[in-house]
Amino acid sequence: MSARTAKRAFVVTFVMMLGTACTSMGVEPWERDVLAKDRMKLVTDSVEAGLDDHIYFSKEASSGGRGFGGGGCGCN
Amino acid sequence: MSKKTTGNIAKGLATATCTLLGTAAAAPVSAEEQPEWEFDTALLFYGEDAGRVQDLSLNIFARRLFADERILSVGLAVDSLTGATPSGAVPQNEVQTFTRPSGESVYSVGSGELPLDDTFLDTRYALTAGWQQPLGRDYKASAGVSFSTEYDYTHIGTNFGLSRDFNKRNTTVSLGLALARDELDPVGGAPVPLSAMADVGMISGRDSSTSKDVADLLLGVTQVINERLLVQFNYSLSTASGYLNDPYKILSIVDPISGEAVGRTPAPGLEGPLHEYRFESRPDKRTKHSLFGQGKYWLGGKVLDLSYRFMTDDWGIDSHTLDTKLNLPMGETSYLEPHVRLYTQSEADFYRVSLLDGEAMPLFASADYRLGSFNAVTAGLKYGWQTGSGHDVAVRLEYYRQDGDIPSDQLTGNQDSASLYPGLNAVIFNISYGFGK
Amino acid sequence: MGSPCLVLSKAGRASAQKQLEVAAAEAWRIEAKYSRYLAGNIVHRINSADGAVVETDEETANLIDFSAALYRMSDRRFDITSGVLREVWRFDGSDRVPQEEEVRRVLQRVGWQKAVWKRPMLTLQRGMEVDFGGIGKEYAVDRAAALVAAECEAPCLLNFGGDIVAAGCATKDTAWRVGIESPGATSAVPCKRIELKRGGLATSGDSRRFLLKNGIRYSHLLNPLTGWPVLDAPRSVTVAADTCTQAGMLSTLAMLMGEDAENFLQQQSLRFWCIRQ
Repeated sequence: MSARTAKRAFVVTFVMMLGTACTSMGVEPWERDVLAKDRMKLVTDSVEAGLDDHIYFSKEASSGGRGFGGGGCGCN
Repeated sequence: MSKKTTGNIAKGLATATCTLLGTAAAAPVSAEEQPEWEFDTALLFYGEDAGRVQDLSLNIFARRLFADERILSVGLAVDSLTGATPSGAVPQNEVQTFTRPSGESVYSVGSGELPLDDTFLDTRYALTAGWQQPLGRDYKASAGVSFSTEYDYTHIGTNFGLSRDFNKRNTTVSLGLALARDELDPVGGAPVPLSAMADVGMISGRDSSTSKDVADLLLGVTQVINERLLVQFNYSLSTASGYLNDPYKILSIVDPISGEAVGRTPAPGLEGPLHEYRFESRPDKRTKHSLFGQGKYWLGGKVLDLSYRFMTDDWGIDSHTLDTKLNLPMGETSYLEPHVRLYTQSEADFYRVSLLDGEAMPLFASADYRLGSFNAVTAGLKYGWQTGSGHDVAVRLEYYRQDGDIPSDQLTGNQDSASLYPGLNAVIFNISYGFGK
Repeated sequence: MGSPCLVLSKAGRASAQKQLEVAAAEAWRIEAKYSRYLAGNIVHRINSADGAVVETDEETANLIDFSAALYRMSDRRFDITSGVLREVWRFDGSDRVPQEEEVRRVLQRVGWQKAVWKRPMLTLQRGMEVDFGGIGKEYAVDRAAALVAAECEAPCLLNFGGDIVAAGCATKDTAWRVGIESPGATSAVPCKRIELKRGGLATSGDSRRFLLKNGIRYSHLLNPLTGWPVLDAPRSVTVAADTCTQAGMLSTLAMLMGEDAENFLQQQSLRFWCIRQ
């Protein structure tokens, strides 16, 4: 699959996901006890995530995705 | 009431209360004001084998919580880099000599050795600061700045974010923008792309400093699926323009039949390279698209974290990243978290193992293994616990391995894939300590 | 109880339902028994005895013993017979402050030292009344918490109109987050956030019930010795103690100490938050 086709396929999937997100899926405020736990945060340790992002940014051609990389660097 | 009788009545009151409630002494109260400051510190060691890169990093991150959900965050990181990294030249069955980027001396590698360059060694300092606050009822806004410096590289950046909750905060849509300007001040100046590596003292025609601009755009949706499942989808667009080369990376020129490096003789009285090398050349623009999805699932006390990212750019690189962690509580206050990450990327359009003698110079070429085609695996284990005073400690040990494969049509003559691709074996060791006051 | 009562539980649905039923039953039982608005209960019998001796039950005797002990410990500032002062003091935010003479007249019917208490027999002088309003809610929430804890071990938070108890044992990850309202603020944004794992939390404040005349703010907490409100009381005092009863008593007493509130609280070696504005 060429990069362009792949790109299109994923954009379509993404928009569909956005669509489903806008339905009334979810929980009532009083059902949030598990979701409120620290361990259920999307990023549990932001310092660790930042350190890992930095390692992979220096060693691979991809970066970010989850958020922004903290900043550029000249490391190899 | 006279001051004298205003003694400590808490004890008498406690006894009277026990009598009233008909219970033995109640368990002692535990009520603490939510800390205003939260600190996260981490010490990281990253070490590749065989004399390659080693990094020791110290990070401190502090958050100050104000009333009305406003948060100030500040971070400081210090990285000390040592070791050496592949320069892009291919190993040969004879000694190779290279002129250092400074142009002031040479270094040699033995027969069969992978040429490594250590010019990037330095200590890097990075500073970040951010502010987050609610905007009206439903919006949250954030803004931040980042700055980092090392002897040949300076980065300055700013970022903005806006998010809105819908649907009883079950859905959150976010928008982010980051802009950065990086200035490079390479040792010896920025080499002319695809120019030949010269003898000692013969560098000329170089810009002493160059720069690049990066802009990132992020669109994300976070959605609560049910009481135990939370998902996030992000799309990001990143554009970089300016000087995107690595000023220290080179390519070997090899004979189209034998695949061996083409020799050269330094000018009389000068030291210099014994083979032909060219500095790499990359386009001056790069556009990346990423699609990212993550889910966190509660499995009766354990938490499963699964994420996938697809990246594609106009340099021809496609990558897939699959990352999974499982948080396993051990007793009341500690946990074990195994982690596996799988990564694969395809090579850049202009990735070349080496250049061929006699062929027309391509417009762009790079032998940087990080633009090549490879698979990588990370496997690790993290153990965390809470100390008596409520502080969080964690230790993490991970192993990172890259294995490249060079398509056979890129190989020339005697070149052999296995010995050409640098590969990578690294150990990551991390200690974190977090507390609030 | 006169206020919304809330039970927050970390138990599973069935157990939580049980916990709620147990807590509600106990709250209603105590309300029915000690409310001064209901005819036929023990409080009504005591207040309409007109000087006669009344025999009290075990629970009421315990409450009276407790009140008597507190009367002594607080140097007579905590007095369950001071309820009649509400006849001349109506805290509706207006400037209708009663006359000296009116207060003096009512004050003659106030004073625990005038009552005769020989457990289980209580004799009040004619015109005197007892009012358990000052300890009723805190007592109810502590009792309910004990019953709920016996029912199920899962951490449970009971909030009876601001008198709070955390039963069971929460960890740092699952601590209850309690916000203390900014006194006088119109929005519901808390000015202090407290992580409560165990124990009781009670707040005394005068931000809602007060009188304002000639620039002087009269808090609704009356000094039973003078019949007049305490001056220079803090806007709000929150105390954390092992039980809500203790927390409630200390926060009330602190308010009654007026400008000495902080000193008093410091001497008790407990966590407290005192807001003056």
